[in-house]
Amino acid sequence: MTQLALVIDLNVCVGCHACVTSCKQWNTSGPAGYMSDDNPYDKDPTGTFFNRVQTFEVGDYPNTETVHFPKSCLHCEDPPCVPVCPTGASYKRESDGIVLVDYDKCIGCKYCSWACPYGMREIDEHQKVMKKCTLCVDRIYDTSLPEAERKPACVMACPTNARLFGDVHDPESEVSLAIRERGGYPLMPEWGTKPANHYLPRRKTRITIHEDELIRADNPLKKERKQAPHTIEGPTLDDSTMW
Amino acid sequence: MRGLAAHSNGFHSIRSLSILMSILGTIDRPGGFRHKAPFPRPIPPCAKTPTGPEGVQPNTPLAGMPLGWPADPDDLFVDEQGEPVRIDKAFSWEHPLAVHGLMHNVITNAWRGDPYKIDTLMIFMANMAWNSSMNTVDVRQMLNDKDENGEFKIPFLVVCDAFQSEMVAFADLVLPDTTYLERHDVMSMLDRPISEYDGPVDSVRVPVVPPKGECKPFQEVLIELGTRLKLPAFTHEDGSRKFRDYPDFVINYETAPGSGIGFLAGWRGKGGEKFMKGEPNPSQWELYEKNNCVFHYELPRSYQYMRNWNQGYLRWAQDHSLTRYAEPINIHIYSEVLQKFRLAAQGRTPGGRVPPERLRKRVDTYFDPLPFYYEPLEAQYSDKHRYPLNALTQRPMAMYHSWDSQNAWLRQIHTYNYLYVNAQTAQAAGIVDGGWMWAESQWGKVRCLCRYSQAVEPGTVWTWNAVGKAAGAWGLSPQANESQQGFLLNHLISEELPAHSAGEHISNSDPVTGQAGWYDVRVRIYPTDAEEPEVSSPQFEPLQPVPGQSKRPSWLAWFAGGKKGHR
Ligand code: SF4
Ligand code: SF4
Repeated sequence: MTQLALVIDLNVCVGCHACVTSCKQWNTSGPAGYMSDDNPYDKDPTGTFFNRVQTFEVGDYPNTETVHFPKSCLHCEDPPCVPVCPTGASYKRESDGIVLVDYDKCIGCKYCSWACPYGMREIDEHQKVMKKCTLCVDRIYDTSLPEAERKPACVMACPTNARLFGDVHDPESEVSLAIRERGGYPLMPEWGTKPANHYLPRRKTRITIHEDELIRADNPLKKERKQAPHTIEGPTLDDSTMW
Repeated sequence: MRGLAAHSNGFHSIRSLSILMSILGTIDRPGGFRHKAPFPRPIPPCAKTPTGPEGVQPNTPLAGMPLGWPADPDDLFVDEQGEPVRIDKAFSWEHPLAVHGLMHNVITNAWRGDPYKIDTLMIFMANMAWNSSMNTVDVRQMLNDKDENGEFKIPFLVVCDAFQSEMVAFADLVLPDTTYLERHDVMSMLDRPISEYDGPVDSVRVPVVPPKGECKPFQEVLIELGTRLKLPAFTHEDGSRKFRDYPDFVINYETAPGSGIGFLAGWRGKGGEKFMKGEPNPSQWELYEKNNCVFHYELPRSYQYMRNWNQGYLRWAQDHSLTRYAEPINIHIYSEVLQKFRLAAQGRTPGGRVPPERLRKRVDTYFDPLPFYYEPLEAQYSDKHRYPLNALTQRPMAMYHSWDSQNAWLRQIHTYNYLYVNAQTAQAAGIVDGGWMWAESQWGKVRCLCRYSQAVEPGTVWTWNAVGKAAGAWGLSPQANESQQGFLLNHLISEELPAHSAGEHISNSDPVTGQAGWYDVRVRIYPTDAEEPEVSSPQFEPLQPVPGQSKRPSWLAWFAGGKKGHR
């Protein structure tokens, strides 16, 4: 059985929020939209986002790290948000493990948002339905897109490739390899929700220099021969660029 | 500009770093400091500005480039007395190697009439009445100030902007600009292209939506102006129009008649078969569009490294007119260029140009041919006991280079800013986390919110730049958090140094390059009194809505009209 998920590398996320805005851009115009904004140009603006980045500091000066922590629905394998739903609007797909909300059935009772231990669901105060990350279900199977673009919008947008997407049940997938080999972990496993999304931890980087790398074996100075001087006519770029 | 260079000791700091890299042998080596075309480039030879007032004549094109690379005192743009000719005083003995100009001093100099008065100031996409100026409160006054005859000191102010910014509010004439989505643009080989390490890259923007209302791309305005003023670059011999519009200009402009070098390096030549150099190609825009708006030439692997001395690369660069000479481009560890200026200051260049008396010591000190560390100039003239902390800013990544950070989504990411203070420093000053506080420099003070941080060293405080806005600006409501809780740190910095031996009005900039010393400021911090209002300070009279400005909706639900799968 397939379980699609995101694996997010906290070691390279720089907190640029490109995933946040590209998510909203894609989804507000798709079947999961709209994603409304209240007081958009006034005091205390607030709105619906399926993906948010929280930034926090760890440790005391001078041993401090600033962590940027992107958060979205984790598409739990045992999602507590689903059984609490009185109308069956919240469901987990058999075929790919994506957890979705059927807006036609949702009555906005918010049981699911109470049940989600991660705070990943957002009620839309205007449509009165519950919304959340869909893993861009309307992109990833869209055959009118080039194959390389059949990925969630956040994955496409991330400038540092902090976000990987794939099937965590396929042991050979990029995401499974990343989880296995780079210490991938789920959030709050003690709740037994079995989040499908995983995070890769911060790592310390150290460099090792080997002495033999400091000497250049193929020094071209010894191989070159003299060539005749060469001149060109007419203007060149360095006559006219000012910067 | 931010970072190591954005201080009045920035030139020598960056030079130290570059020399360290050179000594380590990492220049254009794998994992080192890699070059991007059209670099590396030798200095000298290079483009030059005029060298005296005679280079500026009415109804005559400038006798040289507007910006250039002086390599010798004779290249400076100064008068008989060695005093500045340009309004920003760039390329003068005050800032000899000011290759970017000193935009941050233009308003103050024009207001003072030093070195001359102006009748028109034209500003494009620079928020000089807010976060693009140092000493914002005074600069706003200068923009409105009148002389003894009741005439404005800066009589006519033209501002081109796509948004209702703080600067637009001061304009006599507003030229409504388009956004990037509504116009043609080039990231040109002639001006900071987007090259990669493996070879030259340049790119274009093409409009994806039509302009709104009467908006016109600023480039079109400039071409129209140039044509109507009959500037030689824009007209034929008989005075008739040379370029239809901006796209036509981009295709057909050449750095010199028939040079084959123009804005775009890709698909040159009649049929698009040439690159870097070649005749204008009438279908160049279409070819860029077909190629995702990018031209990328990948150099052979053997040309990708050690380009200062890579004979293959240098020959290639010469053959494609990137550079005139295929000689090795040596790195100046000891700089002859700097030493020439120093010798002049020491009076050891008989018959040559010498700095005015007041600047001799300054040039002698800072034109050291080897780099050295010195305390930033402003700090040298500050009372460091009264103002013990450094203050600086950075731009938040979510808004980096975005001209419309007031948009509904971005402003939810950063709605207002805090001053980040090391927790111990803040506690010692009696300021609580999330509480109101004052930050004060020798120039001014701001009331703002404090956020404790462990990620900043105890002697420095910082905040996000340009999140704070003036009430009513950018189409936001006057109650918006940006103006009531957000604040601007620019009120604490000055565009000029305190009067000292080198002059009364010396720019607060690097003495070699004129790069603005954006944050060399020293501050002190203290809590607000209990009875003070909980609002950031200074506040300005809220901007009133302009005619035709759309009403702010109470809520929004964007829905882009594209077909499914249509990007
Ligand atoms: S993260 Fe929350 S909303 Fe998403 S599947 Fe798990 S419990 Fe449900
Ligand atoms: S786009 Fe990537 S780097 Fe930027 S905040 Fe999201 S995960 Fe982090």
